[in-house]
Amino acid sequence: MESASFDHASEAFDFVELLEKLRSPDEIMNQMEKSLGRFGFEHFILTGLPNPHEKLNQNMVLARKWPQPWLDFYIKQNYVAVDPVVRLCRNTVNPFEWSEAPFDRMTEPRALDVMNRASDFRMANGFCIPIHGLTGYEACVSLGGINLDLSPRTKPALHLMGMYAFEHIRQIITANNTSRFDRLTQREREVLTWTAVGKTSAEVAEIMNLSKRTVDEYSVRAARKLRAQNKTHAVVKALQQRLISP
Amino acid sequence: MTQVHVVTSANRHLYGDILESYHRIRHDVFVKERGWKAIERTDGRDIDAYDHDNTVHLIAIEGDRVVGGERLTPTTSPHMLNEVFPALAAIKGVPIGDSIWEGSRYFVVRERRVGRTDCMLLAALQEFALDEGITHYSIVIETWWLPRLHEAGFVVRPLGLPTLIENQWALAAAIDVGASNLEQARALGGITGSVLVRRGPQIPLVRQVEHAT
Repeated sequence: MESASFDHASEAFDFVELLEKLRSPDEIMNQMEKSLGRFGFEHFILTGLPNPHEKLNQNMVLARKWPQPWLDFYIKQNYVAVDPVVRLCRNTVNPFEWSEAPFDRMTEPRALDVMNRASDFRMANGFCIPIHGLTGYEACVSLGGINLDLSPRTKPALHLMGMYAFEHIRQIITANNTSRFDRLTQREREVLTWTAVGKTSAEVAEIMNLSKRTVDEYSVRAARKLRAQNKTHAVVKALQQRLISP
Repeated sequence: MTQVHVVTSANRHLYGDILESYHRIRHDVFVKERGWKAIERTDGRDIDAYDHDNTVHLIAIEGDRVVGGERLTPTTSPHMLNEVFPALAAIKGVPIGDSIWEGSRYFVVRERRVGRTDCMLLAALQEFALDEGITHYSIVIETWWLPRLHEAGFVVRPLGLPTLIENQWALAAAIDVGASNLEQARALGGITGSVLVRRGPQIPLVRQVEHAT
């Protein structure tokens, strides 16, 4: 922990601004380690949550500095089903300390188990920031450690840092997932470019001197390569990844 | 089918019943549901000093029913971040300018909180701004909405730290306006094309403010 002059607000704003310049999950993780370390955190995980009654798996984890044996054990034991932190995370929009997640010690011995075992991995306490997406996606940013600088003054800073870290890692992972796929051909890019400026496939067909069917075929192929749900989605992804220019 | 209507001082005479319903639903959502006692009114309508002549209301209407809305105010006129919540922008300051508008009283009725109506309203915000030459919005949001705005492709810059207001974490932020932001909001909601409806007389909104000052 730092001295009394530690300025949690500048720390948070510096972090948010720095994130914009970082291009890989590794760089972001290193920065998180540095910045969150100043608040006493040793471990953190950014992960999607499974649907209720489903199991957590490693693919849902976006990024982590988290003891591997603990994650393996947690998944194997299906602790996600009984973890009081996960339960509260699904039911609140506000961030909370792990110790604030309620459970009944008498009737929920496995909940007690999770909390105790986490301490074995140098995570006696922690801070959880719930993420609730627009279309039902649930996730959390969870930070753990021993000597934490968790106070009404520092929590808002951590709240902001957690949410921005999540967003940047999510963006990078989404972009990387698509760039691994086939590259777009010149024709596919051309079709997307015209579509981006609002041309219908009939209009694009006329401009490019092709049949409408061929144009539609290019859109479908581009969407498939970009893993997009439809033509518009493909345009968005292509713009985001700068495969076409606006 | 839901569409988002642009209601201004120039065409509000066409929206008598809708506006009445809009102010009542705002009262239901913000006073009854969220418990903002400070704005409670005995007539059951949420309407205040920021619902003025330069204010624009984006109202999501399904059939003849209001299902969501957002109030937009030029930051060169009296607005909430400047007058009520300046402390929320303690770090970066309150952005003010002709091309910066404030969004407030964002809501979707309970039965429509499954995503698509939100996407429509968010797309409407971007579309309206692009049409009118607004470059940024300032907003005060419940902080848990930040990842939702991110998911819709919004670029959100915090102006201060999250602050507890009426038991809810609130955040002041500036939002960038852009074509790619609009496209991502549309894509998330599976929306093709414009969501905005403009009826009756239209006035140039951004310039109108310049004349007024």
